[in-house]
Formats: sequence, structure tokens, C-alpha cells
Amino acid sequence: MPRKRIINAWTVTLGILAVIGIGAWIYQLTQGLVVTGMNNIVSWGLYITSFMFFVGLSAGGLIVSSSATVFNIKQFKPVAKPAVLLSTVCIIAAALLIVVDLGTPERMLNLLLHPQFNSPLIWDVIVITVYLVISLLYLYHMTRPNPNEKSIKILSSVALPVAILVHSVTAWIFGLQIARPTWHSALMAPLFVASALDSGLALLLVVIVALNKFRLFNVPKSLISTLAGLLSVFIAVDAFFVFSEVLTALFPAEERLMAYINQMLTGSLAPFFWGEVILGALIPFMILIFRKNRENMTLVVLSSVLVVMGVFFKRIWLLFSSMLLPLLDYAPGVTLGKYNLPVSFRTGREVVPNIWATLGSYTPSWVEITIVLGVIALITLLYTLGAYVLFTPKQEEHSHTQGGEGHATQSHAY
Amino acid sequence: MAQKKYGMVIDLKRCVGCHTCAVACKLENNVPLGMFWNRIETIGGPHMDTPKGEYPYLEMSHLPLACQHCENAPCVKVCPVGATYKAEDGRTLIDYERCIGCRYCMSACPYNVRVFNWQEPKKIPSHDVGSADTPQRKRGVVEKCSMCEQRTNKGELPFCVESCPQRARHFGDLNDPTSEVSRLIRERKAERLLEDKGTKPQVYYIR
Repeated sequence: MPRKRIINAWTVTLGILAVIGIGAWIYQLTQGLVVTGMNNIVSWGLYITSFMFFVGLSAGGLIVSSSATVFNIKQFKPVAKPAVLLSTVCIIAAALLIVVDLGTPERMLNLLLHPQFNSPLIWDVIVITVYLVISLLYLYHMTRPNPNEKSIKILSSVALPVAILVHSVTAWIFGLQIARPTWHSALMAPLFVASALDSGLALLLVVIVALNKFRLFNVPKSLISTLAGLLSVFIAVDAFFVFSEVLTALFPAEERLMAYINQMLTGSLAPFFWGEVILGALIPFMILIFRKNRENMTLVVLSSVLVVMGVFFKRIWLLFSSMLLPLLDYAPGVTLGKYNLPVSFRTGREVVPNIWATLGSYTPSWVEITIVLGVIALITLLYTLGAYVLFTPKQEEHSHTQGGEGHATQSHAY
Repeated sequence: MAQKKYGMVIDLKRCVGCHTCAVACKLENNVPLGMFWNRIETIGGPHMDTPKGEYPYLEMSHLPLACQHCENAPCVKVCPVGATYKAEDGRTLIDYERCIGCRYCMSACPYNVRVFNWQEPKKIPSHDVGSADTPQRKRGVVEKCSMCEQRTNKGELPFCVESCPQRARHFGDLNDPTSEVSRLIRERKAERLLEDKGTKPQVYYIR
């Protein structure tokens, strides 16, 4: 009984959050992007940060699950279903986050009507669409009563390179920009793939432990421990890339680049940079390298949550380290683009709002936070419903409706 | 005659930082409140019109800054819908009816000269100003200097060039060796901003 009740409460809460998010988006549509914290210097904010984050989460899960089939790692096969469903909902989140970031979403079809194939953003639109279609097909084939091994094999062989590509292309959106010193790096794509691997696998671990707990899907504990071991390797690879990238920027101590790097090391982005290094990499790595800890589900979940959080921090410092400082930093600077007469206008104390800044600053507004939370709630809801419908075998669901709840998936051992 | 490549030369030795071109641009192009297409930076000091250095070794100079109309334009490369494009005559222009407001071009621009309509364009007084055929822009699109497309298409000068009281601004065809801009670039030491980025701006500065 409590299990059922918890699932219901969870579903209802997510539904409410999603509806609130949609409400916030409608509000944003009526007002324009002025209701966000973005401005002409920091022209991308929480939406694009979260977009990168979700593409990574999506790619990571699918890379792990499809390599199980491609390289015939039988041991990993049980997680394929929850992993592909996770990839699907995360890529939907990424697509939604691009839509809410657009200034004129009513012209979104221009992406199809007038695609300019030179733009990395169009590459991303194409590769995300392909990826979504493949994930759905993959999911469909896996959850059929009698899965066709051959088509699953073919789909996973396509899914694996596309999953790597989807995050590489997202990296190139940033990495190919000559105007942004901390983005413009050949290491960007490998770095993104590394963060996709660790954050995606970490989220998958959290999800399968939760599915186990609520008996929606059963994954053997030994497999969770093995995956946790793999996670520790991925964390190390990610940390290695970050170290290599930062060292390359730091060593020449070139003045302009140092201004950007110092924001990460000691400036306003330091909590996120060091937060990622310590909470997102060092601590979970130190926990997961010991086999004993990998067998402790609480520690596995804790480390995974830390990794996911750490990679989100990384998205933050990565995006904003390049956005805060204009390359030409002369006074009075850049016009911020928003103009709202202050309340004091009438009293004559402050006559005009300041529209200038030489240095960018950004705080997400409540609208942005609400919309992002709404997107997260929506895809979590999708996942929960998907898990309920797809992972529960038909005949058992039948008995479930007849004979009460609680035992529906207990014997489920795919 | 070869294809045209419009460009500008700004003589910083003549510029006195009076902001006339910035205001002229704002009027002619009907630029909403909260943003400028063309702005005057002060080189060195921490605020507008503050000198560089310490007394008595002070030095003050200005840098009018607008779209550089790069030949190798990063903004054109990234625009997913081709709303930002290089016109036949070498200007970097925006199709305001096509822009989807993704602001990728703003991330790609090394000069921070692109501005976005975060809100419904605001003007005080609330009516439009500028030429009758100045392009209209709505909320949610990116905009920037077009070298006054509505004027230069008719053979007139960009309004900033025409209104500069110091005659510091020059406009013309960079492909025509006899044009004033070509002559100035040839005879004086003309520089471009952030030349190391390889964007090949078509706006030159004489120091």
C-alpha cells in the first residue's frame, strides 16, 4: 500500500510542478525574455546550461547501454531498458530547453524551412532528432513481448556513435567559437563526452536504485556495484580532461586568458569550479574506488548524486567563464538591453536606469528556475509513467489489476 | 568593376568622443531604449570619459564601436536559419523577419556589438523615429548596425558618417582602390580590432 501511495504522490507532485513550469513559460511568452536574468553580455543563461547538462545525461546512459549490446557485454544488458528510457526523456528535456530559450519560438519552424547547414546549432537539431528517433525505436524494440535480437543489435550499433556525436556536436556549439577564450578548445568535445559518461551513468545508477526500491524494475545489486566501479573510471577520465584543459590555459599565464581562468579559480565561478573538483570528482572517486563502498547502495547513490551535481556545476563554470568578460572591455562597456524605469523615477531621485556594464553578471530569475524545474518534473513524470507501462510485463499487469498491487513486478528479472 | 565591399574608416585622431554618431545612429535606426548599435568607448579609464594613466601623464582617447561587418563573420557562420548573412556588397545584415532569437550570434561575436530585444521595444516618446524605411524589429530578435541599409541602398551615407562633426568617419567601397576609404587605409596606418581573431573586419581605425 505505501508503495502505491508514494508512487501516486510522486506522480501528482511532478504533474503539479510541470503545470507550474508551463505556466511560467506562458508568462515568459507574454513578457519576452526580459523576465529572465539574461542580458546583452550574458546572453545565454540557465536554459543553455541545463540544455548542455541534459544532452550529457542523455548521451551517457545510452553510451553505456548500447555498448552492452554492441560489444556483447552480457552482464550490462539488464540495464538497457531503464537506460534507453532515461536517454529518451533527457533528450526531450534538452530539446524543450532550447525551445524555451528562443526569443521568437513562434518562428521555430524556420529551423526546418531555412536551415543553414554551416551552423553547429543545425547540426545539433539534426543529430538530436535522429537520436530521439533511434532512442524511441530502440525502446520500442526492447519492450516488445518477443524482442528481436537482430534489430536491437542493429539499432544499438547506430545508437552508440549517434550518442557520442550528439554530445560532441553540443560541445562544438561552444568549442568552435573564436570569440570565447575558455570555450575555444579542441578538447571541448572529448571533455563533453567524458562528462556525459560520468553524469549519465551516475544518474542511471540513481534511477535503477530507485526503480529497485519501488519494485518497478529489478537490477541485481552486483551489477549496480560493477557499474559503480565503471563510474569511478569515468570520473577519473573526466577529471583528467579538466585538469589538462585548465593546465594548458594556466601555464602560459597569458594575461587575457588568465582573466577568464581566474574567474574560475578565484572569482565568482570558483564555488562551481572547486565544487565540481571536490564534491563532483574527488569525493565520489575516493568513495567508489573501494569495492566495499561500491557494495553499499547508500554510498553508491550518494556518490552518483554528487557526480551529477558536479557535472551541473561544470556546465555552469564552462558556460559563464566565457560569457562574463567582453573581449573589448573598455568603459562604459556594453549596453545591457533592458530598460525599465525605476520606481524612483517619479520622485526624481534616479532618473534613468543604468544600461551599461563592462563586466557581465547573471542570476537566474524565478521564471527561469521555475521553467527548468518544470521541464525536469515533466521528464521525470514521463520516466515514471514510461517505467510503469513499459517495464511491467503484460500478463503480470493483468494479474495486478485483478489481484491487488504490490507484487506486480516482483518476479520481473529481465 | 569588381564586386563592392562596403567598409568604414574611423579616424581616431579626429574623434573627440562627442557621441554624436551614437545618438545619430540611435535616431536614424529607431533603436529602442536600453541599447545602442553604435557606442563610444573610452580607452583606458574605468568610466566613460575618464583618462588613462596618472596625473600629469594623462591620456584620453575614444573608440566608436559598432558592428565590424567582418569579412570572415563568426555570426554568419553560426546563425542556424540564415537570418544573419553577408550581403552582396559586403555588409553583414540581419533579416529581422527570419531571426528566431536563439542569440547564438551574440555568443559568436567577439566585439559584443549585437543587441537583443529582451522586451517589447521601448521608446520615449513612444512613436518610431528615423527614416520611413528603417527596418522594423520586434521583441525577441537580435539587431545591430547595418551601415544604415535604408540609406546606403539609396546611395546615401550612413547617418553616423554624415553627422560626425569632426569628419572622423568615412564610408566607401574597400574594393575600389580610388575610394576615400581605400586611400586612407593605404596612406595612414589603419588597424582593425582584435585582428588576431582572424575575423577580417571591414571597419578600420586610424590611430
